[in-house]
Amino acid sequence: MRISKAGLLVVLALLAPLLVELRTVLSWVNVELTVLETAVVGAVLVVVILVWAFLPENGDGKTTEGDVSSEN
Amino acid sequence: MTMSNAYIDDFPAEAKLVRTAFYSSFLALALGGVFGIIQTLHRTGYYRFIDSADYYTVLTAHGVFLVISFTIFFLVGVFTWAITTSLDRGVEDLRFSWGWYGLMATGITLSGVAILAGFTDATDISASVLFTFYAPLQAHPMFYLGLVLFVVGTWLAGADWFRSWWAWKQENPDSRIPLPTFMVLTTMLMWYIATLGVAAAILLFLLPWSLGLVDSVNPLLTRTLFWFFGHPVVYFWLMPAYMMWYVLLPKVSGGKLFSDPLARVVFVLFLILSVPTGIHHQYLDPGIAEGFKFIAMTNTMFLLLPSLLTAFTVVASMEHGARQRGGEGYFGWLTALPWRDPVFTGMALAGLMFAAAGFSGMINAGMNINYLVHNTFWVVGHFHLTVGTAVALTFMAVTYWFLPQITGRALWSRSVALGQVVLWFVGMTFMSNAMHRGGLLGVPRRTAEPQYDGFEFEAAVGSMGELQAQIALGGILLTLSLVLFFANVFGTALNGRSDELPANEYAGTLSGPEDAPLVLDNLKLWTAIAVVLVIFAYTFPLLSIVDRGGLFGPDINPLPVSLETVHLLAFVLESHVTGTLESIAWLGVNR
Repeated sequence: MRISKAGLLVVLALLAPLLVELRTVLSWVNVELTVLETAVVGAVLVVVILVWAFLPENGDGKTTEGDVSSEN
Repeated sequence: MTMSNAYIDDFPAEAKLVRTAFYSSFLALALGGVFGIIQTLHRTGYYRFIDSADYYTVLTAHGVFLVISFTIFFLVGVFTWAITTSLDRGVEDLRFSWGWYGLMATGITLSGVAILAGFTDATDISASVLFTFYAPLQAHPMFYLGLVLFVVGTWLAGADWFRSWWAWKQENPDSRIPLPTFMVLTTMLMWYIATLGVAAAILLFLLPWSLGLVDSVNPLLTRTLFWFFGHPVVYFWLMPAYMMWYVLLPKVSGGKLFSDPLARVVFVLFLILSVPTGIHHQYLDPGIAEGFKFIAMTNTMFLLLPSLLTAFTVVASMEHGARQRGGEGYFGWLTALPWRDPVFTGMALAGLMFAAAGFSGMINAGMNINYLVHNTFWVVGHFHLTVGTAVALTFMAVTYWFLPQITGRALWSRSVALGQVVLWFVGMTFMSNAMHRGGLLGVPRRTAEPQYDGFEFEAAVGSMGELQAQIALGGILLTLSLVLFFANVFGTALNGRSDELPANEYAGTLSGPEDAPLVLDNLKLWTAIAVVLVIFAYTFPLLSIVDRGGLFGPDINPLPVSLETVHLLAFVLESHVTGTLESIAWLGVNR
């Protein structure tokens, strides 16, 4: 994993404010998303983050410095 | 068998007091949370099982239980811990300490019963006056009496902590005030000044009015006295959260506090600037001149300074901790922070939300732009980020550190705790975002049914229905988060005694008190400046309010003067004079 599980949880949580504000921001450039479309964008982002997080770094499958936190 | 060096081992009697204060706080949190979800579902229209008239009783209970009982019981626990730990001495007289706790508990019970009695017709007791309990809304005397006892209890608690400091000073005449103690003392000095307003409002006006001793009050006067206390009370909630960010967050990050002197400056600034700002809650009140409101706005904007200093110091301390743990790069150090630790993650997320709250607070504080959002749902969104997240989430996060310290038992589940703080962050994101956006559409606050026939709020993005759904979703997530929190509190209480608890320590400093000018510890000087600023900010507005509306309202003025009266007097005088002149003329003619 490229990031600790706890770090991944926090990154996913930070998606919440990003997504709820995204609709407003996009409306400034005349892109109006429905709730369903926003949810789909959210789901895609979650999948992208999960794939990134679970891909082994440098192909060796070792954990990174992010997992230092799990020692605490 | 290894003995731990936890707080309960060093201060067993004080740990019991802190534990009792925390449990009182959690009881209030549970009650407030229940009323929170009831009103969320009622207001959004998803589930209405109470009468809309009772909504205001629910609202009062939600407000008073959370922002008076939950926050203040928790902070007296934290402050007792801070004083005893940083001075390394127990309280001077444990009976006195239990005395102030007892007074607070008795007071809030009286007020709480008065509020809850509003749900039944079996008694005429009620107190559906909302947290902002100024006139013309009137509560049963028991509500006001309870608040008086509660506040006096906090005053005595402050006296207890000052007494500890004075005793310590006798033994350590040349030492600097330890930082946690300094934070407690400056916060309490601010609280003493701030509560003079609410004490005057209750004892001189609201309680006599509620008892029938006086017929009326001057509503603007009671409002102004309330806000004299009503704004600084938010710093009373916030300062213990700040204290945790300064003394605990750097430690759990793995490092040290960046600067002790900066922390002292921040607390001094809050002592000086917290009180002369209350009038910014009254920008739309007729009867207060614009100039006075401008002064309040200026003072409020100055308050951004200590908050920005805090943001800098706390983030610098976290970065220091992360680099101690091997973090590298401009932003790479963020991944080295202890995200697995709910104490850290909860406080970090609370701080992040507080940044957003600061921005919406600036909108509230600006005199002209405030008119856009005044009394709308925006304000509710704002304070759910401040007291509802910066304070509440920090308190819940540090509970996971404190529980083992004060119970001697290991935390029931760190994973559940982590899930709880993250869930609170997500729930509050949904709820407060929709509240802010609703406020921009003009959706009012404090309304059981914000749906009106023949009128549609027009959302710039999405729809009102979507905003309502977002609020309900947020409320449900927050309730689930509370359930997880209480599961951990109960689970920990049921755990066996552990001998392997972390030591009762707070963060060291990179730049210590020796770098702080001595004048920062001159509490008399800062208190004097704070009092002078309060006099500048409040003397003329209060005199003007009393001059216009009387102490007890215009009807009780000895000489009621209005334009209509002047017309009547002029008419009577004119008739009288005309009649007299006519009589004289008639006498002259007939002589």
